[in-house]
Amino acid sequence: MKRTAVLAGIALVAFGALAPAPPAAAQQPIKVGVIYGLGGAAAPYTKPAVTGHEMAVEEINAAGGVLGRKLQLVIRDDQSKPDVGVREARDLILKEKVDFLTGIIHSGVALAVSEVAKEHKTLLLVSIAKTAALTEDKWHRYVFRATSNTLIEGRAAAILLAQQPFKRYAIAGPDYEYGHRMTEDFVAHLKKLKPDVQVVAEVWPKLGERDFTPHINALLQAKPEMVFSAIWGGDHIAFVKQAKPYGFFAKTQYLAIGQGDLDVVVPLGAEAPEGMWVSSNYTFYYPDAPANRDFVAKYKARTGDLPPSGAAFGYTATHFLAAAIRKAKSAETEKVVEALEGLTMETVHGPLTIRGYDHQSNKGQFFGRLKKVPEHPFLIIGDLQYVGGEKTMRTLDEVKALRGQK
Amino acid sequence: MFDLGGLGDPAFLAVQCLNGLTQAMFLFLIASGLTLIFGVLGVLNFAHGSLYMLGAYLSYTITSLFVGSPAAFWISLVLASAGVAVVGALVEATFLRPVYRREELEQLLVTYALVLIISDAVKFIWGPDNRSVSRPAILAGSVDIGGRDFPTYNLLVLALGPLVALLLWLVLSRTQFGRLIRAAANDREMVGVVGVDVSRLFTGVFALGAWLGGLGGGLAAPVGAIYPGMDVEVIAESFIVVVVGGMGSLTGTLLGALIIGQLNSFGILFFPRFALVFVYVLMVVVLVTRPWGLLGKPLAR
Repeated sequence: MKRTAVLAGIALVAFGALAPAPPAAAQQPIKVGVIYGLGGAAAPYTKPAVTGHEMAVEEINAAGGVLGRKLQLVIRDDQSKPDVGVREARDLILKEKVDFLTGIIHSGVALAVSEVAKEHKTLLLVSIAKTAALTEDKWHRYVFRATSNTLIEGRAAAILLAQQPFKRYAIAGPDYEYGHRMTEDFVAHLKKLKPDVQVVAEVWPKLGERDFTPHINALLQAKPEMVFSAIWGGDHIAFVKQAKPYGFFAKTQYLAIGQGDLDVVVPLGAEAPEGMWVSSNYTFYYPDAPANRDFVAKYKARTGDLPPSGAAFGYTATHFLAAAIRKAKSAETEKVVEALEGLTMETVHGPLTIRGYDHQSNKGQFFGRLKKVPEHPFLIIGDLQYVGGEKTMRTLDEVKALRGQK
Repeated sequence: MFDLGGLGDPAFLAVQCLNGLTQAMFLFLIASGLTLIFGVLGVLNFAHGSLYMLGAYLSYTITSLFVGSPAAFWISLVLASAGVAVVGALVEATFLRPVYRREELEQLLVTYALVLIISDAVKFIWGPDNRSVSRPAILAGSVDIGGRDFPTYNLLVLALGPLVALLLWLVLSRTQFGRLIRAAANDREMVGVVGVDVSRLFTGVFALGAWLGGLGGGLAAPVGAIYPGMDVEVIAESFIVVVVGGMGSLTGTLLGALIIGQLNSFGILFFPRFALVFVYVLMVVVLVTRPWGLLGKPLAR
């Protein structure tokens, strides 16, 4: 009796396997691998980023998915290490059989995973990592970036500061790929726009430095009029808190790239120096447009907090991917690659385009000076101006020269 | 790259030297706990940085409970370091006690596991966001040193470092607990044979070491950011201090911290892009010429 039941079971399974695929198979989800360094100093950005991806997926799936198929995320931790990123990317492609890859905050991981994407012909849409190399000399058909890069941001800061009377500049950057790339891109453009500027000092604290006081004293000794800084996140918080009692912000102006983000202005609270120059990747108050208002409301309803920049990175990248699949009318990589090239979409930052020939988004940065406002316990960006990527991106000829093409 | 004219400016040099000294006191406070635990228990405690991080997070929570009170900072400094000492005692009794007789590698693995456990616990309790606490109002300003500003808070650190060093010296040389610690560092079996409860002694030493780490974290909280991952940097720096000074030697740890503080402070003036190299060169030189550290004792085996 038992044996019969077992045989019947086996027969059923066998039949099931042999039966022609039902139309439901077309309803299989489109799988998207998401890779981030989820711990350490990156966590304040990457945890909200994952929430951003999830919010976008829920919106898309609630509206019936793309091409009738649901989106499904598979999230992995690269521990901010290139070798781990490569391993996770391979695993996502080969074992999880994901259709697309997105995410990545660490520039080193982005360059490494990009090589995996190229090898497996899998589309990788980078959401945060900013080294310009990714879409310049290390570019290939399958790599895209939904946000700005070091060149776009460095040049934008140079354009704004060239209009100011400052002549004596100092440089402060974390001592790794991002810090060097950002400050080089800034200084090169500044000197082009204003040849008489001088760099009178530079300091290179390591990433994760606890004690910036020797650097602060050394910067002040050089008597700069403006300090351009690529120090970010927790390091920036420490720098500001330590610099204040030295009278630093009264003795020199200071521009901190990307540090108008909530991730740092909220913890700094009233300790943030008023009038400090900052740029920001995303603000909940600008642009005051329907897409952004809607995003802020949804994020608040979900988490109880205002959305930090990480959330906008994840949300925007996911919607770009979905829009490309819709435009391609297919989830096949080659078709989606072509659809993403030149794709324009309304985002939380306003309309953005991913350029065809280098797969770089024209997302710019929001600049201004921190000011106190009665409605928030933290400082927001006053006199905010958006410097769009189209003003600073490399021309086609520049990109070709970098890639060694004619 | 630098205009080295600043080297002829005495006020600049004085402030730079004081900056290095402040850094040295931080390093000493944190690393002294590491060296104490190694010297007595023979365990290289990878999780010491995690205890430091825990001190910073606890002081964040305690400060926010007493927000607005001028005593908030002092209460948090006392309670946070005491809290870390309690955590240290529990950790020692549950995780380390069973592995003292095992190989060093296994002990190292246990402390490494603790790093991961505490890191996840911190993320679970406090979330991934950056946190920050303010300096107490009385220490938020600066004092004048030859026409230059120097943070008042750093004066507190400069005073606490020698105070803790003195306290440790008194405890170790003048109390029964200290005599037992020194005896156990020499020969723990002998101490056990003469009827001392070695388990309790070890728990006490580990708690004291953890207290030092927690104190460092609580003291660093108002001048830094509190975030998951702050444990990693500090453990690397503490190891260098302890290796240079001599594993297990408190005086050596103080000397190592003083040298490294000045090296960091002045190194960046000469080679801003390669300043980190100095510390590693120092470590290599010490390891090659005196593998047991500047004031450590050679292993007699």
